[in-house]
Amino acid sequence: MRLLVIEDDPALLRTLAASLREENYAVDTAADGADGLLKAQQNTYDAILLDVMLPKLDGWGVLAALRPANRTPVLMLTALDAVPARIKGLDAGADDYLTKPFDIDELLARLRALIRRAAGQTSTRIAIGELSIDTAARRATVAGEEIVLTAREYALLEYLALHRGEVVTRAALYEHLFDEADDSLSNLLDVHVSNLRKKLGRDLIATRRGHGYCIE
Amino acid sequence: MSVVFHSLRWRVQLWHGAILLLAVLAFCLTAYRLAWASQLRHIDKSIAQNEWTMFHGLMVACRPEGVDKGSVPPEAIVERLRAGTLAVPATVAARFGGNEPGYLYFAIYDRDGRRLLHSENLPADSALPQPEQDTGELYRLVGSRRETMHGGPGGLIVVSGRDITAERESLHRFAWSLGALGLAVWSFGLLGGWWLAGRAIKPIATISRTATRIAAGNLSERIDVQGTDSELDQLGRVLNDTFDRLHETLEQQKRFTADASHELRTPITILLSETQRILKRERTPAEYEEAIRTCHDTAARMRRLVEALLLLARQEASGAAPRESCDLAAILRETIAQLAPLAKERGIDVRAELSPTRCDGDPASLAILASNLVANAIQHHSTGGHVEVSCATAAHSVAFSVRDDGPGIPAEDLPHIFRRFYRVDKARAGASGHTGLGLAIAKAIVDNHGGSISVSSPVGHGTRFTVTLPTAPTGSAPAPRG
Repeated sequence: MRLLVIEDDPALLRTLAASLREENYAVDTAADGADGLLKAQQNTYDAILLDVMLPKLDGWGVLAALRPANRTPVLMLTALDAVPARIKGLDAGADDYLTKPFDIDELLARLRALIRRAAGQTSTRIAIGELSIDTAARRATVAGEEIVLTAREYALLEYLALHRGEVVTRAALYEHLFDEADDSLSNLLDVHVSNLRKKLGRDLIATRRGHGYCIE
Repeated sequence: MSVVFHSLRWRVQLWHGAILLLAVLAFCLTAYRLAWASQLRHIDKSIAQNEWTMFHGLMVACRPEGVDKGSVPPEAIVERLRAGTLAVPATVAARFGGNEPGYLYFAIYDRDGRRLLHSENLPADSALPQPEQDTGELYRLVGSRRETMHGGPGGLIVVSGRDITAERESLHRFAWSLGALGLAVWSFGLLGGWWLAGRAIKPIATISRTATRIAAGNLSERIDVQGTDSELDQLGRVLNDTFDRLHETLEQQKRFTADASHELRTPITILLSETQRILKRERTPAEYEEAIRTCHDTAARMRRLVEALLLLARQEASGAAPRESCDLAAILRETIAQLAPLAKERGIDVRAELSPTRCDGDPASLAILASNLVANAIQHHSTGGHVEVSCATAAHSVAFSVRDDGPGIPAEDLPHIFRRFYRVDKARAGASGHTGLGLAIAKAIVDNHGGSISVSSPVGHGTRFTVTLPTAPTGSAPAPRG
């Protein structure tokens, strides 16, 4: 899952990005509204964390420029806790609203919920035959037996499972699993896929040659 | 209900109604009395006329046969009356008789009160002359009759009267119509008064409603002023001015609270997020060190912010600064010395042109003021720049200025730079290390000293802050410049 964090306070941006990366999100950062908007429009994110008070272009401005064309879930982070400000945020197209100071675990849970909802899922558990994925604990089990996965393998599996039945292109996988700091080579993706197949069975992930991958 | 009657409109209406009622009553009563008096005069005149006709008839009857001219002495008439040989002629007698409405009657008495002659219909309760008493003239109303009694020729006393039922009835009708008219005028007046009072009070009610809405929280609304210079417009303008100031103060307060909470919440968020993140699992010593450094920097930032907030609160709460004579040049020199490390670090050359300048003020506050302005100039400058500090004495004031040859302040920001938490570069405290309160504190200090602070920043010519502080008018003469 790839996130964009738009926050002008460098210390907060640093700690937020570190927290998210430790949860195996691919994280891009922007320190002002204009830069954030540019990145949001150029790349495809699974969710955007948006501060309200930003230099150059404030959070409302970013949201106004994004909506309605861009449907990426937006979680607003702000110190403005007055009810009118929250209502304004939600009405402007934000999907959720969290006031500072927030609990990092709550932020992570809300992010998971946003991403889940955007993918049409209602539960933290995704079951595919014998395979069961717990998106909150980020664990995969086959017939009750835990499968040890690396962070990248898990991210790949979760993304494909969340988009079950769809053919996910390689480009989309690169977009969603790697942030702009990563310079992974394209065959790295093939390595992760083949590792997953080794651990979960050959038939789980089908290859659509020339298109991408798919979990039926 | 009592509340209703306390309303201005009702009170005006009550007074108006009472006064109008008195006026209408006075008018009706006067009209009635005048009409009645005129009616009575008319009746009395007709009675006198009939009496004369009656006497004339007696006189004619008294004349000897064949004489139809010349007067008859009253004694002769009295004599004949006493003798009972005189009667009014039939033509005249026809006038006095019957009991139809408007009937006439008469009676003639002699000096001793003996009735000599009377009409047949003389009422039993008609006036009787009192013997041995000067009766003079008498006009009276008996029942539905008007009666007069007075001395006649030859010592006779004549009582004559008339039934005035018809006149009374007509007067009665007149009274009723007068009453109805009065009532109509009164009602009309009441309605008009109610309308007028309502019209006069309506603007007040509008003002009151608007003021209530404003008081309830709709602070952007204003009372509609008509543009005339009526008392109500003046009231509206005064209230609007008050609301403007109230609104401005509240908005400032709200903005300040929002800004302050934002500025305080961000570092708290950093502390919480960073500690929460780092405690989630085992870390290497390097990671711990980095996290602790982040927390330390954040805490230091909070300390700066809290200190600035306290300083600002103290300045705003303290009112006029305690005054003592101090040398502005010495304060500025000390400030520059304290900020020298910062200037060196940023590669800024700070020059001072200071002559001893005595001023009255609080040295501690003035030092903060100078420090804020000089530090502001250093921080917003790029490496290699110059900052000039100078001070001078004028007739009734002293002034010092801090000038830099930096990029200047955009014109659209100039009016706001003394606002709390206003930042020209919009960068946050964490990025730049300053709180956004420095110039607000400077302004508060200058205000407390009764002085003024101004800023000019012509494009491309750097920025100059000038502070002017008044000197006590009775103070010592300005020190000579050296």
